[in-house]
Amino acid sequence: MDHYDAIIIGGGHNGLVAAAYLARAGKKVVVLERRHIVGGAAVTEELFPGYKFTEFSYVVSLLRPEIIRDLELPRHGLKILPLPSTFTPTENGDYLASWDDHDLTRRELYRHSPKDAEAYDEYARVMARAAKAIKPIINLIPPDPSSLSLRDLLGLFKVGHYARSLSEKELYMIAKLATQSSADLLEEWFETDALKGTKAASGIIGTFLGPRSPGTAYVLLHHYMGEIDGAFRAWGFAKGGSGGVSGAIANAARSLGAEIRVNSPVGQVIVKGGRAVGVALENGDELRARVVLSAADPKRTFFQLVEPKHFPDEFVTSIRNFRVRGSSGKVNIALSELPQFTALPNEPALYRGAVSISPSIDYIERAYDDAKYGQISKRPYLDMVFPSMIDPDMAPPGRHVMSCFVQYAPYDIEEGWTDETRNTLGETVISTIEQYAPNIRRAIVGMQVITPKDIEAIAGITGGNIFHGELLLHQIFFLRPAPQWADFRTPLKGYYFGASGAHPGGGVMGAPGMLAAKEILKDGNW
Amino acid sequence: MTNRYDFIIIGAGHNGLVAAAYLARRGKKVLVLERRPIVGGTVVTESFGDGFSVDPVWAGGTLRPDIIRDLKLPLPAVKERPAFTSLLPDSNSLILYPDPAKAAESIRKFSQKDAARWPEFVRFMDKSARILDFVYYTLMPRLPKDFSLAEGYGLLELGLELRVAGRKDMLDFIRLLPMTAVEFLEEWFESGPLKAALASVAIHGQTLGVMSAGTGYTLLHNWLNRGGLSHVNVGKAGGTTQALANAVKSFGGEIRIDAEVSRIQVDTYTCKGVVLASGEEILADKVVSAVDPKRTFLDLVGAPNLPPEFVWKAQSIKMRGSVAKVHLLTEGNHGLPEGTVVVAPSIEYLEKAYDSAKYGEISEYPYLEITSVPIRESVTESVERSVVSIHFQFVPYKLKNGAWNDPSTSSGQAQRDTLKGIALNALTEHFPNLQSLITDYHVITPLDLETTYGLTEGDLNHGQLMLDQFLFMRPIPGWSNHKTPVDNLYLCGSGVHGGGGVSGAAGRNAARVVMKTG
Repeated sequence: MDHYDAIIIGGGHNGLVAAAYLARAGKKVVVLERRHIVGGAAVTEELFPGYKFTEFSYVVSLLRPEIIRDLELPRHGLKILPLPSTFTPTENGDYLASWDDHDLTRRELYRHSPKDAEAYDEYARVMARAAKAIKPIINLIPPDPSSLSLRDLLGLFKVGHYARSLSEKELYMIAKLATQSSADLLEEWFETDALKGTKAASGIIGTFLGPRSPGTAYVLLHHYMGEIDGAFRAWGFAKGGSGGVSGAIANAARSLGAEIRVNSPVGQVIVKGGRAVGVALENGDELRARVVLSAADPKRTFFQLVEPKHFPDEFVTSIRNFRVRGSSGKVNIALSELPQFTALPNEPALYRGAVSISPSIDYIERAYDDAKYGQISKRPYLDMVFPSMIDPDMAPPGRHVMSCFVQYAPYDIEEGWTDETRNTLGETVISTIEQYAPNIRRAIVGMQVITPKDIEAIAGITGGNIFHGELLLHQIFFLRPAPQWADFRTPLKGYYFGASGAHPGGGVMGAPGMLAAKEILKDGNW
Repeated sequence: MTNRYDFIIIGAGHNGLVAAAYLARRGKKVLVLERRPIVGGTVVTESFGDGFSVDPVWAGGTLRPDIIRDLKLPLPAVKERPAFTSLLPDSNSLILYPDPAKAAESIRKFSQKDAARWPEFVRFMDKSARILDFVYYTLMPRLPKDFSLAEGYGLLELGLELRVAGRKDMLDFIRLLPMTAVEFLEEWFESGPLKAALASVAIHGQTLGVMSAGTGYTLLHNWLNRGGLSHVNVGKAGGTTQALANAVKSFGGEIRIDAEVSRIQVDTYTCKGVVLASGEEILADKVVSAVDPKRTFLDLVGAPNLPPEFVWKAQSIKMRGSVAKVHLLTEGNHGLPEGTVVVAPSIEYLEKAYDSAKYGEISEYPYLEITSVPIRESVTESVERSVVSIHFQFVPYKLKNGAWNDPSTSSGQAQRDTLKGIALNALTEHFPNLQSLITDYHVITPLDLETTYGLTEGDLNHGQLMLDQFLFMRPIPGWSNHKTPVDNLYLCGSGVHGGGGVSGAAGRNAARVVMKTG
């Protein structure tokens, strides 16, 4: 039987990050991945000959800079190509564009509303300041405010001390952003519908709320926390797709001595004497280790991999109540030619950025209205990128790949997910795009439609929620994934939890994996 | 300009009167100015015709017991709490009696499991409401800097109170606030009708749906404000504010009705007094406004007298009325039970009612909360007359097509008749002869709430109860300590911390702050 210091269940980016950090500390580590490739929801696959897709997650921005530094990811193949623009066609045939060039964006905004152009600078400053102010929280181990242990009190003191170091303005800004709706936030600043719609869209990604529901401004802020090379709010695309990120982390982990096994689904965590001592693979093999870290989603981690009887009832209830409602799908399309957006006849540069179907807040809210009654949005919010425009290796010469993130596609729909409803989702996306780019249909060479059920089945995320659990105010910080257990430990000794369902949450961020690894090292079970 | 007061209170609503009474009790020279011919603000009882005596805005509630005690108000203690009835399709209903055991009996028809959980739910809600009450009673210091030890002490006490609640209840309380009512209730119950009945309490007075985040907080707020599920003292709202007015006078305070303040006099960020609509100027050391913050700052003080950023923040205060009231005078047996009755048959029904308002439309299938009070003019009276008050949601203040008109115009009258028609339509199945028993009616639109009762945009709570307008963010981040950028001008209405509801906490807290900075 193989003996390790640490076994990591799940070769998603968080599992790999954790493995790399543990290996870096000289520990003997193995990562067990269910699928034939590592990456979890950050993978690149060739779905049609010559056409490569980053099936699930498709942009990077949130990946922590210290991870890139610590693990020397660029040396291991990470290359991030910037996404330079966002283009929002509007229902009246016009469009709104924004670039990484501040003056260009301002001029474009001015065309729609001089008032918004004036407000935009200040808005950008305020959001950047709020994101910077909240950033140190990301790397904190959330203290439990109900505990009187020295560690938690010290943690609380740290949070309090940090809060005191902020200016009054910053503190109120964060408090407001944490509790507001993104619609309310944006309506305080702007009047242009397309601008409000496009910004509001980042407040609903991965949640099952509409832009008018309180709490969505926090998700918007979460998306502002991204940085590339120190530039805030910069979104990028990894060379080779999201698989490029996972690949680089996996390379780093391997070079640090970690072992990575694919096609190795874990059946159960072995519990002896009230302690996790190893895992049993589905093929019957058993592996022993001093600690086991799960990088799967919370439900899988606590209900499937371990029998719930090993946890106190209260904890089981908390995990049962953890919301993992998937609300989005993905449509990956191989194209013979680029879609021609009628609003934009002569601006090929914009195809290098994102195209957002978010003409107004009401548009997105109506999309949500369908979803909350168990329907696929008739007119969904779409976020599209053309990876082949940025990284030509993704498609055959002259051809293109297109990635459409689509929301809302609820996990639970009235009719249930079948081949038929999956086709409906695909058709809904195509007919939505068609309104703005009539040639889309004839350009399609191949198409893959991913429903939340598919995300669950392929990537192994219960409920199909892209963040392993919604980023709701009652599911973040010291409440993620469960009250009293937000410090990456679990009620089962030797069993740790470090994936998107843990603090600080989802996105290709890597922070949960890193923090979990550091806590494991702190506990020193060796 | 012969008179000079220590304090002028603008607005004789319950919070204004509470503040005035506490200040007058300290021997200060206090003047309360009320725009209307009666005191009470939204906590009034008015007559709309022969025998048609109604609480036009509030459905009932009580002041904090310590306020009643301090001010020696001759208000009777609530002896018995009526039932809370949810009307369901097929002439069915769910009755939540105040006695948990009896309520569980009624719930058992829908779910055994839910019936078993009910007493524990009531315990958790009552306990959480007590914590929230403590929160409202605690003065909010300016965070994070410049708060004195005395202010910090209040927060320390609050922290202790939370810890005393026990680890689990404390975390559950914190978790509850940002949740959606539906999420929260799903953790407790499985029965659709029960979840919907409770969820309706969460959106009462809010322009939010049961699936909006933060309705966990409003559920708790309304639970606290009512002291449970059903309303008490219905039909007697005016008695509360009359008692308060008498207390003010007995402490030597002065109350003037028909005295509309048109301007707060400000000289270089310092408040000097007020100017009435009649042109009369009255000076005071300090002015305490019980008027909603938006109106106080933007209309009475005026933007030129405030820092520009503050003006922008005042404009951004979310005041969103979507409530109308339909009051009926009936003769004969309509069959409505006593207590609080709701039309909230399912979560989907409630959420759809809100969807309409979101896009500026009146709900065709609204959420209604009905109270019925029998009129007993004499003991020997034979005809059964009663006042039926319907709280109607959602009726947006801002209509997508058109605007609310004055009731004196024919289109204004038609709008009110439409509301009455929709409300009665929703009740026909359960009370088929109600329509034929109506002898008089009075409809109040969101516009009427604004023009008659002074509620900007018809918002009952002087600002939506949302987490970004909660604690130190109510009404404006950093200004929840009852102070304003204008020296000697204070706020004491429902729009500040402690406010929303009839507890009087905001008025009392404001009086504490004003006395301290004396």
